[in-house]
Amino acid sequence: MAIDKESEEFSIKTIDLTKKFAKKKHRGIFGFLRKNKQNNKHNEVTVALDELNLSIRPGELFGLLGPNGSGKTTTIKCLATILIPDKGRAIVNGFDTQKETAMVRASLGMVVGGERTLYWKLTARDNLAYFASLYKMPRKKAKRRIEELLETFNLSDRADERLEDYSTGMRQKVAIARALLHDPPILLLDEPTLGLDPSFARQIRRKIRELSEKQGKTVLLTTHYMNEAEQLCDRVAFINNGRIVAVDTPNRLKARVKEKEIVEISVYNPPTDIERQIHSLLPDAEVVKLIRGNEDDGSPSKIKIIGGTAEEHIGTVIDTLRQNKVRIGSLNVGFPTLEDVFIKLTGAKLTEDGT
Amino acid sequence: MDKSKREHRLREVNCPTGLNWSNLKAELKAVWESYIKDWKIEFAYPVSFIRQLISPIVYLLPFMLYGIALVGGRYSPNLEQMVGTGDVVTFTFTGYMLMGFIGTAVWAMGFSIRRERWFGTLESIYVTPSSRLGQVLGMALHSTVHQMLGTIIQFIFIYLTFGIGLKIEGTLPALAIFALMMLALYGFGIVISALGLILREGWVVSDALYSIMMILSPVAYPLVVLPTIAQNASALFPTAPALIGIRSFLMENYHAEAFGNVFLHLLLLGTAWILFGVLVFHLTDGYVRKRGMLKKF
Amino acid sequence: MTQHATQQSVYSSNLSIIWNEVVKNIKTLLAYPTIIVFWAIFPIFWFIPFILQGEAFVGGLESSSFAEITGTGEYIPFIVIGAILSSYVNTLLYGMGENIRKEAYQGTLDYVLAAPCNKAYVLIGKAVSESLSSTIFAISQLTISVLLFGMNITLGVMIPVSFIIILLILGLYGMSLLMAAFSLMYKQSYDLSESIGYIFYIFAPVRYPVESLPIWAQIIGKFIPLTYALIIVRSLMLLGTDLSTVYLDVIALLIIDVVLLLAGLYLFNKIEKKTRKSGIISHH
Repeated sequence: MAIDKESEEFSIKTIDLTKKFAKKKHRGIFGFLRKNKQNNKHNEVTVALDELNLSIRPGELFGLLGPNGSGKTTTIKCLATILIPDKGRAIVNGFDTQKETAMVRASLGMVVGGERTLYWKLTARDNLAYFASLYKMPRKKAKRRIEELLETFNLSDRADERLEDYSTGMRQKVAIARALLHDPPILLLDEPTLGLDPSFARQIRRKIRELSEKQGKTVLLTTHYMNEAEQLCDRVAFINNGRIVAVDTPNRLKARVKEKEIVEISVYNPPTDIERQIHSLLPDAEVVKLIRGNEDDGSPSKIKIIGGTAEEHIGTVIDTLRQNKVRIGSLNVGFPTLEDVFIKLTGAKLTEDGT
Repeated sequence: MDKSKREHRLREVNCPTGLNWSNLKAELKAVWESYIKDWKIEFAYPVSFIRQLISPIVYLLPFMLYGIALVGGRYSPNLEQMVGTGDVVTFTFTGYMLMGFIGTAVWAMGFSIRRERWFGTLESIYVTPSSRLGQVLGMALHSTVHQMLGTIIQFIFIYLTFGIGLKIEGTLPALAIFALMMLALYGFGIVISALGLILREGWVVSDALYSIMMILSPVAYPLVVLPTIAQNASALFPTAPALIGIRSFLMENYHAEAFGNVFLHLLLLGTAWILFGVLVFHLTDGYVRKRGMLKKF
Repeated sequence: MTQHATQQSVYSSNLSIIWNEVVKNIKTLLAYPTIIVFWAIFPIFWFIPFILQGEAFVGGLESSSFAEITGTGEYIPFIVIGAILSSYVNTLLYGMGENIRKEAYQGTLDYVLAAPCNKAYVLIGKAVSESLSSTIFAISQLTISVLLFGMNITLGVMIPVSFIIILLILGLYGMSLLMAAFSLMYKQSYDLSESIGYIFYIFAPVRYPVESLPIWAQIIGKFIPLTYALIIVRSLMLLGTDLSTVYLDVIALLIIDVVLLLAGLYLFNKIEKKTRKSGIISHH
């Protein structure tokens, strides 16, 4: 089987991947009587992927970050061969997704849609046994692997109960266990912690980290939780309107945005010229502001420093305040988030509420 | 583990593919596991399981009672004139006995893929290296066995209630005809399962096809009752030649109509439907993946 | 607000619930034109085999044995009437249970149950919308049958027939309430609906005269509203009688209707309270 030289060094590579959907409007039996106010067309074309180029190295934990409708799930589905792109190519583990479909499928484990992609009327063990057969695993090997995975995910005690009696988090664990059955080198995880409570979400993230660091798996993770991407990913790509907007490590991406760095110090009895003093120490700062509080009522004053390199010079700022015999109540440093980076690069928000 | 020193995992997959014994074994195992899975899910709905076992009796009884009311007993001189035997009870039973297996093709197989979409498991199945046809065949096998159980219960009920006159020595050739009929029905069912993926109200198609096949098959009446054009159309479906062939082996004095060598006819039909079914399935598979239709409607 | 005005207000809001439920269900149905066409035409295909079976066994369009039992040898109109009425029953009975199951599946059932209105009016709305659609389908099927099979129907006979169908619908409403109650309680209510359909199909004279059944089966049939409806309608349309001739069957149908409606209302309210207490709804 020919090895694709173009993608030999990458676990996953997409080349000008394009996907469009023509959405037919269901207008019902009397639809012809109703005029479409926006346009007269019956079909809208949505560009889900617009010449997407992505390269993921073996063993990398790669995040794909974008708002709803940006093309994250479409990317995953094209890589997983359940969607055929209109143009371009995708190479997974050296296999072309359109020409060597079976080998691509054997190379990956996918978690898309989570708990609703399992048979609720079957037990965890039955679910895993069934999917093991679909991955063409020999019976004995499958049995061993299932027991191993049930143990790993702490499901052994309830392995013979139906999934309908499981919690959402437990079902998600079964979904992940299924993706790992055949020990694939590549995992595609589409919003794996969506809808989970914080404790389960933490467990899942820990597991994902382990799979990448200890087992060397290549993981492509899509999420719109920026803190998840920051915590887990070696590199993050921003996707918006089907295109990659930026790719880099989370820290380097955040470094592109300086203006939202905020340092807030609550102080008691500051001198009147403290703003000038701090500004002289931080010439790069955009704003240094003293907001007087009502100290008789116990509300401290606040010094806000926006932009610049406050984080690096914070020690000097504190020394200055001490020299001026200013009592410091608290110190908060607001680092720019990936959301801030995304907004700066695209003008759009990652989530509606900015979380 | 230091990432920079991590071993590259490019191309380390063990998965049989292509035309070889190893892959065939793996695909057959997937079919078997699909069959087992369907039984396990079925047993999770015990009321449904029992109901479906008795439904062959429920749907046969009206034909029986109606037929008996029409002729005032179990003998019809007009039927005897047409096919050589006037035993309305045995005639109706042998017809209806096979009718249930049409349900295997249009309902069970027709809904196999669609049902997975309804469960939410279709995409998970598509991502595996096994053939999607395995799902359909697993469901077909499950439905066939299910229908056989129902038919046995039906047979016992009708035998005890009405009495049936069948030639035991005709059982083996009748079974051979049955097997050939099922081959063709499986091919037909594969076509329906493919259509079920792309049509929003697939059950309408299944019901329509079931009704049409019911009319075109000599289940409750001899084929000669139909207009000529309908008799010719019935040659395209396996149930008509199968029913005629099975009756000629199982019923005393029954003389065959129209189709000549039933075995050859069914073999050709079976081959044609299987090939056509696989082709349609393959084309539809590509179509739904192109249009992104694997999600639920 | 005076007591009278309060009562008026409650009354009009209950009517409004029924109306809105009907509008919602009809709009939903109109979004599926394929299903409308299917139900308007396809039930005819289901009874064509019976007609052909008749031709094969009898060798003509009339059966003397049939005439001895039913009073008419014309088996085709006999079958057509049975088919259309049973199709009517099916769409009503299954429609209600299916409606509730869809609400549960879509996640809207919780909100319907949490609303402060009396849920019986919601169900009545569902039943009315199912009756409306079933009636339209039945008219379509009857029209096609008249054209295809040459049945004679006089407008005069349709008035008492419509009255009997209304009585049948009332009885079916009662059954629908019972099945709706079970839909709330048991996830396998579809099988219950189907099983009740089986009972109707075998013990009511849908495809054959009731006299074809053994006595014990005929007794069971006497508890099914469809049995009386079929006997009365066939008597009116095929034998040219009027309601006074079959008044005993009309009274029996009325009694069954009252029993089913009361039992249905009572059980639905009881089970609805129970399911809200046990939280079973959210398990659907």
